[in-house]
Amino acid sequence: MRNIKRKLLSLVFLMLVSPLLRAQDFKLPVDVEKLSSTAKETVEVNMDGPMLRWASKFLSAEDADEQKAAKLVANLKSIYVRSFEFDKEDSYSSADVEALRSQFHTPVWSRVVGVRSERDGENVDVYFKLENEKMAGIVIIAAERKELTFVNIVGPIEVDQLADLGGEFGIPRLKTKPSSSNPVAKVEKGDHK
Amino acid sequence: MNPPNQDMNRFDELLKTVLRRAEPPSGFAERVLARVEQRPTAIPREERVPWFHIFTVPFIRWAAFATVSASLIVGTVHYRNVRRERAEGEAAKKQLMLALHIAGSKLQLAKSKVVEIQVSRPNGEAEKNRSRSKS
Repeated sequence: MRNIKRKLLSLVFLMLVSPLLRAQDFKLPVDVEKLSSTAKETVEVNMDGPMLRWASKFLSAEDADEQKAAKLVANLKSIYVRSFEFDKEDSYSSADVEALRSQFHTPVWSRVVGVRSERDGENVDVYFKLENEKMAGIVIIAAERKELTFVNIVGPIEVDQLADLGGEFGIPRLKTKPSSSNPVAKVEKGDHK
Repeated sequence: MNPPNQDMNRFDELLKTVLRRAEPPSGFAERVLARVEQRPTAIPREERVPWFHIFTVPFIRWAAFATVSASLIVGTVHYRNVRRERAEGEAAKKQLMLALHIAGSKLQLAKSKVVEIQVSRPNGEAEKNRSRSKS
């Protein structure tokens, strides 16, 4: 009788907790979490659905960027961002980044872009989560020489609109025009796993 | 029927009789003056009390003071809450915009890298093809 009670309780607990687990289906390696102590600058953003709705209430309808942002986040479930900026190069281990990447080597996630640039030391991975052939989330892992950034956006999102917001706030958009010299980089595009 | 002149004379006589001067009864003037003195003075109009005289009642005064104080406290607390909520909302908005900006800029970085490589690759592939065809 006790066993049945326990099982029932654990089942109820799992039912209650599972939506929360689903919202953030990754875990930052402990070593990555610790990087904030050595980083020059750390950005940590954790926003779930209600928080996103609340924050978007304060977005101005008169500001074009904020209007774009309001449209973008209207159907999102959560946004998680960790960004560490260091004074020195190689302040984090590639094993940590690999541990992070490996969490997305599942059938749910598709690696859409994987850039390995030995010249610039800029490695970027972009993963899409598709549910019923619809975009259900995006993960970006950008490992640069002095910067490590992890972004997880859960919910349907327009990637182009998101990229548009990258060049706002008075910061110039990144140039998409290639440099004259040949970069030593490896691109893996459409690598569905 | 009497002729009209006769009627007029009778009417004149009647008027004269009715309007003849008659002396008032003795003591009439005294009685009138005595009555006037006895008559109560005109009832004074009810004095108009200003509305704020209500506060002369201690209970009302304290109640009013308590109400004003409570309103001030509630108003201040509400105002502070609204301000705090507004500040928190603005901070959340900034966080959201920062998160979107970081995500957007990293996407742009990936995009730029892809474009960079796509542009540089055809040359390399063309060279490879050339070398293959030579061999």
